[in-house]
Amino acid sequence: MHLPSRAARRASLWSIATPLLALAFVVAACSSSAASTTPIAPSASTALASATPVPTVAPTPSPTPAPSFPLTLTDDEGGTVTLAAEPQKIVSLTPAVTETLFAVGAGPRVVATDDSSDYPAEAKPLPDVVTFGTVDVEKIVSLKPDLVIAGGAGFTAADAIAKLRDVKIPVLVVSTPSIEGIYKDIELVGSAVGATDEAKTVTTKMRADMQAIATAAQAESAKASTKPRVFYDVGYIDTTGQIYGPAEGSFLAEMLGLLGVDVITGDKVTYEIPIEKLIERDPQVIILGVNAFYKPTPETVAKRTGWKALTAVKTGDIRSVNDTEITRPGPRLAIGMHNLALAMYPDLRLPPVS
Amino acid sequence: MTARTIPGAIRRAGFGGRFRGRTTVIGLVGLGLLAVLMVIGVTVGSTQIGPADTLAVILHRLTGIDLGRTWTDATETIVWELRLPRVLTAAVVGAGLAIAGATFQGIVRNPLADPYVLGTSSGAALGAAIGILLPVSFVALQLGIVNVLAFIGAIVAALLVFRVGGAGRSGGMTRLLLTGYAVGSILAALLTMAMYVSGTNLRTIFTFLLGGLGGASWERLLVAAPVIIVACAAVVARARSLDGLLLGDSAARHFGIDVRRERGILLVLASMATAAAVAITGLIGFVGLVVPHVVRLLVGAPARRVLPISAIAGAILLVAADLVARMLGDIPVGVVMAMLGAPFFLVLLHQARTGYEL
Repeated sequence: MHLPSRAARRASLWSIATPLLALAFVVAACSSSAASTTPIAPSASTALASATPVPTVAPTPSPTPAPSFPLTLTDDEGGTVTLAAEPQKIVSLTPAVTETLFAVGAGPRVVATDDSSDYPAEAKPLPDVVTFGTVDVEKIVSLKPDLVIAGGAGFTAADAIAKLRDVKIPVLVVSTPSIEGIYKDIELVGSAVGATDEAKTVTTKMRADMQAIATAAQAESAKASTKPRVFYDVGYIDTTGQIYGPAEGSFLAEMLGLLGVDVITGDKVTYEIPIEKLIERDPQVIILGVNAFYKPTPETVAKRTGWKALTAVKTGDIRSVNDTEITRPGPRLAIGMHNLALAMYPDLRLPPVS
Repeated sequence: MTARTIPGAIRRAGFGGRFRGRTTVIGLVGLGLLAVLMVIGVTVGSTQIGPADTLAVILHRLTGIDLGRTWTDATETIVWELRLPRVLTAAVVGAGLAIAGATFQGIVRNPLADPYVLGTSSGAALGAAIGILLPVSFVALQLGIVNVLAFIGAIVAALLVFRVGGAGRSGGMTRLLLTGYAVGSILAALLTMAMYVSGTNLRTIFTFLLGGLGGASWERLLVAAPVIIVACAAVVARARSLDGLLLGDSAARHFGIDVRRERGILLVLASMATAAAVAITGLIGFVGLVVPHVVRLLVGAPARRVLPISAIAGAILLVAADLVARMLGDIPVGVVMAMLGAPFFLVLLHQARTGYEL
């Protein structure tokens, strides 16, 4: 499942809000979303084991020739996408895909993105074809793209994907709950745009960076006799007291696990954790995932109903971290992992990740 | 109002003594059931806490008596800071909405009236949405800007409908009802627009529309409860006026009721109770519409019986529904209430041997 900062909220929103949205405005996406995700959640250890040894330089392109066009690919939701030639006009409907396209060198061929695609800087001025979650299908059609890449699990409205396919526009849907899945998605996007080797280079470096961070963090974690209980705060609704954390089995929970902490997770589908359960699990550290739309502070957290019973609140161990890189399943995930590791272990010495 | 002072036609409609003894029994049984449900409500939750510890924590907090401290700080927080205010909020809001519903049904003489008939719900929802979308946060008495704007929105909508709809005048209530509908439509359209542009805040607005007790806290309860309780007590004190209004304006005048004044006062009181409830729990439906009807089927039509029994029944329904909702993983309380309450209501309607008219 996609879990960039906005997506986390939006994706779970779709699953809850579908009935009302259908009533409130007919244009709403009536995807039954999250439930349809195929859980491919390898444990932390398999993710580590499958990481390739640390290369100091980028590997030379593999001798196996990249698949040539015409090309047929199977996407994360089982859809088959046939591409007659290398796509020259690409539309990205998620911020993570936009980042991936630029990272594999296909940036100049991107003609439009969604409204939350804010990285890299070149992506910002591109026309938006998704506004507040609503896909402007007509605008996409008018751009005559030869490839649209959408988010699965309800991130991109399912009816919009169906409409685009109806008018014979190839739509590749990417969606994953796991770190390993993120590497696969980057490679899938790379193959689709004729940048297989570039994508492989990106993921090889990501795997190496992630493993280096995990190894260092686990060594730091091993110094203490027990793993610290950590809650990563993804969102909080003051009027209802609803608390959102890393979904069970999500890549965010997996990342925290790789850092050698005892992760306190939210519900697999809704991301929610009831306050009573949070008190029972009693986090020793709270990490606030701060972004443009969610700006909690240690002071506001301490005032939340019932939170003063938490050890982290009593000891004041509430830390803030910019969550955009951490929760966006794209090529900057290792940077997010780096920031998360430093938030967890401020004294950790890590080589810079670019 | 006693049976002696009212005409036979009214007595036959259930104003007589047929239900008198029964009302006291139902009231006492209801209070007992409410007490039991509230104790269960505080004991049950996603964390296992034994009834002994639960009661010991409450006793300790209320009286300072310590019968051997066997519980942890976390247990104390869960019982005292989370569950108790939540259960009490459910009881107060359930009672308030039921009384408000009974009042509005009587005033507009329409069985489909509910606490939101004056556009209160749309006003509150729009106020809350504005509060959610405003880039400022403001907290006073632990009431966020959302709660405050929801309250203001509800009151403004009710006053607007009240003025434009000519509630102060004599005459039929059709105009008031339709004005409520029209003003509500405008506010709902603005709300839809606010939701459309709300982006990531959509879920926050949506949860307010669903209504629920997850946001309950002592601070919010202590601000809203006095408003609800005082307004409801004042309505109960005016039960006789409400009975008169239910009979129609001219009949009410014969009983010596100042129709315009009493109607105005009752509308304002019921709107205050509704607005205070909505501000802390969002839009909770069903209880305000159905509970008064259930109560009338059980104890007859006089407001002096309907109002107090509605309060007890409303509290029971919301406390029970919230309890079930929490046991099912905090699903929306409105869903549980309708699933529990509607079949019960249907059975009562079916069993009512004499036809039922408001």
